[in-house]
Parts: sequence; C-alpha cells; structure tokens
Amino acid sequence: MAVSLLARLAAAAPAPVFAVAGIDGLRAVERLALDPRVELVASPRHAAILLVAGEIRPEDRADLYRLHDQMPHPRATVWWASEPLFAGIPVGPHGFPAGDLADLHRALAARAMDSDPDILPDEPPNPWRGKGDYGQGGEGMMGGTPYGRPMAMTADDLRDGLALDAYSATFGPFLPAFPPGLVLDLTLQGDVIQSAEVLRPPYLQHELRGPAAYLRRAARLVRLLGLPAVAERLRRRPEGCGALARTGVFAAIPAGLGRLGGYDVRDRLRAWCEERTPPPLPEEARLAPLLPGLEWHAAVLVINSFTDAELRSLCGAREVAA
Amino acid sequence: MTTALLSLAALLLGGAWMAAVMDRLAVAWISGRPAARAFVEPLARAAGLLLRQPVTTERPDATGRVLAPALYLALAAIGLSVVPVAEGVVLTDLSTGIVLWGACEALTVVVVFLHGWSANAPLPLIGAYRYVAIALPTLLLSMFVLIAAALPAESLSVTAIVDSQREVWNVVRQPPGLVLFLMLGLALTFRGPFDYADPEDLAGGTAAETSGPARAAWQAARLCMLVAVAGMASAVFLGGPLGPWLPGPLWLVLKMVAVLALLVAATHLLARLPPSRMLTALWVVLLPAAFLDLVLVGVELLL
Amino acid sequence: MDDLLAILAAGGAALAVSLPLLLMGRRAFPTTAPQQGPFLGGGVPQTHAWQRYHARWYAMTLVFIAFEMEMMFMYPWAVVFVAEGMKAMVEMGMFLAILSLGILYGWREGVFRWQ
Repeated sequence: MAVSLLARLAAAAPAPVFAVAGIDGLRAVERLALDPRVELVASPRHAAILLVAGEIRPEDRADLYRLHDQMPHPRATVWWASEPLFAGIPVGPHGFPAGDLADLHRALAARAMDSDPDILPDEPPNPWRGKGDYGQGGEGMMGGTPYGRPMAMTADDLRDGLALDAYSATFGPFLPAFPPGLVLDLTLQGDVIQSAEVLRPPYLQHELRGPAAYLRRAARLVRLLGLPAVAERLRRRPEGCGALARTGVFAAIPAGLGRLGGYDVRDRLRAWCEERTPPPLPEEARLAPLLPGLEWHAAVLVINSFTDAELRSLCGAREVAA
Repeated sequence: MTTALLSLAALLLGGAWMAAVMDRLAVAWISGRPAARAFVEPLARAAGLLLRQPVTTERPDATGRVLAPALYLALAAIGLSVVPVAEGVVLTDLSTGIVLWGACEALTVVVVFLHGWSANAPLPLIGAYRYVAIALPTLLLSMFVLIAAALPAESLSVTAIVDSQREVWNVVRQPPGLVLFLMLGLALTFRGPFDYADPEDLAGGTAAETSGPARAAWQAARLCMLVAVAGMASAVFLGGPLGPWLPGPLWLVLKMVAVLALLVAATHLLARLPPSRMLTALWVVLLPAAFLDLVLVGVELLL
Repeated sequence: MDDLLAILAAGGAALAVSLPLLLMGRRAFPTTAPQQGPFLGGGVPQTHAWQRYHARWYAMTLVFIAFEMEMMFMYPWAVVFVAEGMKAMVEMGMFLAILSLGILYGWREGVFRWQ
C-alpha cells in the first residue's frame, strides 16, 4: 500500500539517468539533458537507469560492467544507437528515448518489472577471508590485502616533499567530470595529482560548427564551476554569454591555468563566449604533462577546456575529428 | 514546550519543502526549462529515492555512514530551536543561545566530514577534506557577526537579541553582518559558490556513494539546515517575529522565505572559486571584513 | 534543566525521524561485492581510499585554533561591552589587531594556500 503510494508519487519526478556517451554519443546525451522528463545524474549511485548512447570500445566493456553493477536496485539499462552488451531496451539511432526513460522509471518504481541482475560475479577484488592473524586478509601492520584491497603506501609529495600516502587508481572512461572515453591513470596525494598517464583517449565525437558549438563547450565548463542552471541557459537560449561575467566564472578560473599555445583556460572560455576559435595547440603538446601538480578541481577545468578533437590530439589519438 | 516543538517541526519540514520548490523554480527561471511540477517534484524525487536500494560501499565505517545524515538533521533542529517563533514561544530559551548555535555550526563540519570519510571511497574523501578547509574559517566569520549582533542586546540569548531590535532591525545597523552570515549559510549547506563538499567535479562529493533512502535523508537534512540558517538570520538580523499588523509567526515565516530566496538565488547564480583561492579570500578579505563589522557596531554603540 | 530537555527533544525527534529512513531498504536488497566498489567512472583503485591523507591546509588549522580560543573570550566580553564602554572597546581592539598581524604574517608565509 505504502509502496504503491510512493510509486505513484515517484512517477511525477524526472527519471534519474546515468548517461554513458560512447562514440559519437555526446551530442545526443547533451540534447537529452534538456528534456524535463529526464534528469542526468553525476553518479550511478543516484540513478535508476543506465543509458548507453553510442558504441563502446571493446576495452571499455569491463568498466561499463562495473559501473552497471554499482547502480542501486531496481535498475534497468537503455541502449541508444548502441549494440546491447547485456540485457536492456534498445532504441534506434533516430529515436529519442526521453519518453521510454520516463516509462521505464515509472515501471521500476511500481515494481512492474524485474531489476537488472549483476553482471560480474559476487567476489571480492582479492581473496581475504580467513587469511592473516585476525582473518582480515592482512599481513603485519599494513601488508597483504585487508578486506580485499591493499592499503595505500607513502611516497614523496611534489609540492612540499612530505612523505604521506599516495593513492593510485584509473579514473574514467565514464567519469562525468571527464569527457567520455578518457581514461587516466592518476596518482594523488590528498587532492593534488602527483603523476598522470593517459591510458585511453576520449571517444571520437562528431564536431559541430557555428555558435551552438562554442556555447556547448562553454556550458560544460560553466557547469563544472557550480552553475548547472546558467549552463543550461547557455544551451537553451543561444543568445551568447553576455551575462556570464556577472556570475564570476572568469574570476573563478585561476589565471595561467592550463596555458597551451598562449591561451589559458580562462582565455579559451572567453574565446568560446565571443564565438572565436582559440589559436591551434602546438602539435607536440600532450595532456599528461599538464596535470601533475594540479589540484583536482583545477585539473578537471583544464581537461574540459579543450574541444573533443583537441583533447584527442592531446592524448595522441590519430583520428581527431569525425 | 509542546507548542514550541510542534512549530519547530512545522517550520523545518514546511521550510525544507519550500526551499526545494524555490530551488526548482530558480533553476526553471534561470535555465528556461518548464517549471510545471515544481511543487510536487521535491516530494516525488524523495519518494523515488525511498524506493531504491541503499548501497553499502566496500568496508565502510558503517556506524558513521548511518549517523552522519541523522546527526546533520539533529543539528539543524537543535540550531533552529533557539529561534523564537512568536513572543514568548521558543523551544530552547538559553541565556547563551548563540553559543549553542555556534556549537551546532562547528559540529556540522564534523558531521559532513564523517559522511565523506565513512564511505571509504576516493571522491567522497576528497570532498570531505576540502569541505573542512573551507568550513573552518567560515565558522569564524559567523561567530564574529553573531557577537556583533549580541553587543546592543547585552546578552547572548537569541530572544534578547530579537528584543533589542524593537526600534531598528540589526540589518540596518550592521548590514555586512547579514551578508557574511548568509555566506556561512551557503557553506553549512554546501551550496553553489560554497559547494566544496558535494560538487559536480567530484561526481557528488561526499554523497557520490550515497543512494536510496540514505540520499533522501542527506538531501532533506541539507535543506533543513538551510531553513535553520534562514531562521537564525531572520531572528538575529531581521527582528524575527517582530513586526506591525501581522501576527508574529507570520512575520517570521515571511522573513525566512525572503532569506531563503536570497540563498537560493546565490546558489544558482554565483560561480565557485577553486578551494585554495576561497581559503585565501576567507582569511584575507572576509575575516577582516567581519572584524570591521564588529568595530563599526562597537563604535556606534559608544557614540 | 528545561533547556537541556528541549535540546534533547529537538535532537531526539530529528534522530527518530531520520534513523528509520537510514536503515530502511537494506533487507530487500543486500549489497553484492561488485556493487560495493568505489565509483571512479568505471575505473578501479589499487588500494583502499582510507590513507594518511595529505591535507594541504594543515598550517591554517593552527591559526584557526588561535581564533577559536579568542572567541571564548569574546562571548563574555559581548555581554559587558555596553557597561564597560571604551575600556572594552580598546581591549578587544588591541587583541584583534594582534591577531590580524598574525593573519598577515600567515598570508606572507603562504599558510592559506594549498601547499
């Protein structure tokens, strides 16, 4: 009774969707973001539906499985212009899935359909049960794999040389703060990047031309500066960025951040706002050397201050534009 | 006490819903998206969250994970309990009301940190540490402006501070105080320009791993804290329930709605500085501004 | 006593509302191992996230403690300010001036940056 009442109420909310953009899928996802029936969320933990738009590289499949399994039940998957890799509802490349997503959200809330089961086996990342002195999987103070994973170990810091713990992980390919497809192997101390390596470049995206393309890039940066509503306005009413300076976005980007080819992040945003193309990047410029020493927020701004094609060339990908 | 407790609950719950609706309306107004369901949507989102699974992370601090949102809500309730709803109606009429409020502020930092820490996941952890760095100096701001508001009342009791505004509201006597206090409000609820705990670049920060009912509780607690800040700002700077013609509680509600509107507008219209810049700005610009506010109030009282 | 009871009532009511919410839904859907992994956009971590975290602002916290202690003196000072008049003003003015010098020194030393 209570559940059916909640389900009826929940139907009035937009469908919480975690969108994964594949090859040439970003534009479709950005179009979907403007639909009031759908809410694109920043983490799979906040989503009920996984949307895969466009084809996924074979080497990213394991990451997609992991991401799918992290979503809370009841959950479902929609494949938009994408070959289904596991169970889900397919939508053709010329369809627009906002209505399907809303229906699906309603059906999930009402328990009218089964939740997607896990794809990966129910096993810890490393065996640990019963190992070690206390059965916690560890050896001595810090060794072994306590509860399935090793503990972080110390390393010297870039900025102040303090030897505190270094945290290493692969970030991406579907981290919402990164362009889709980009996989970075990062080592962090606190929130400052110590070393970075590009493992996979972002996906090839169809490049738009004209004012809408500039505003779309500006909107991505403005969103990351904490202004999603202003970013959406940029996309809905392509009247330019006249009012943008009043929100303080330019002041919020440190001068000199991510300078390449004479332009820093702030200059690139300003150029997009004035519908100019920033000067081309030096041929030999690469993304990985830009990141060490940057704090996480600054690094995210730098990564998002390039066009999809520029970023692909910075990652050393051969084909850069479709 | 029953009246005061019930009115506190009504203020918190009604205010949280109101704040969520205002958030939707502000987003609709700024972005140009239709706002047809703004009044139902917050409840509908909450209902959707209640129907989903609360995922536990890998080896979390399970106790901290459960306690953080609950304690955050409790701090909002205790903080708001020192605000008089009408003349003579106040749940906690402490002679040291603003000290109790200050304690709630300080413990909020602990609770938000706990939420990010307890997940044992990198993005929430970064959000948690980043938040502490910004929230600590913001606490100082708020305590300086609250002490400035206590000077003319010659008391630390919120009721006495409200009484001292019978002639003229504190916002007229010390306008910088209200502005600095609203910044604290944004920092306590990590919104917009002060969203260092749960920002988009960290995929939701301390809440990146929080799902289902736990996420509903976290969001509700954030909104309740926003309401508590609005209540405190109304009482300390806008005369609380004082006002002509209308009954006192209505005045308080009107003032709280006005403060909420300001807070919501700031949330959606101001960009966020990088954490290191904000830290410098807080210590080098805003804290001296709070000193000046205190000195101005002191000089005015002695003249 | 009444005040303590009131604080307990406000806090207790908040806990009573939120704790059931935070415990609900666990039995219906137990979390499996692949669900538990931290979200990194699909990527995997090498280690647990808990670590000796490199907080970049540790020096700032010492300045913070100085101010927080000062706050304790300010509470009683605020109550007697009008009665004491100029004397209280000058005393606190001196105190704040000294602390402000501390801020300036800290700023020069880069205490408020992400070191």
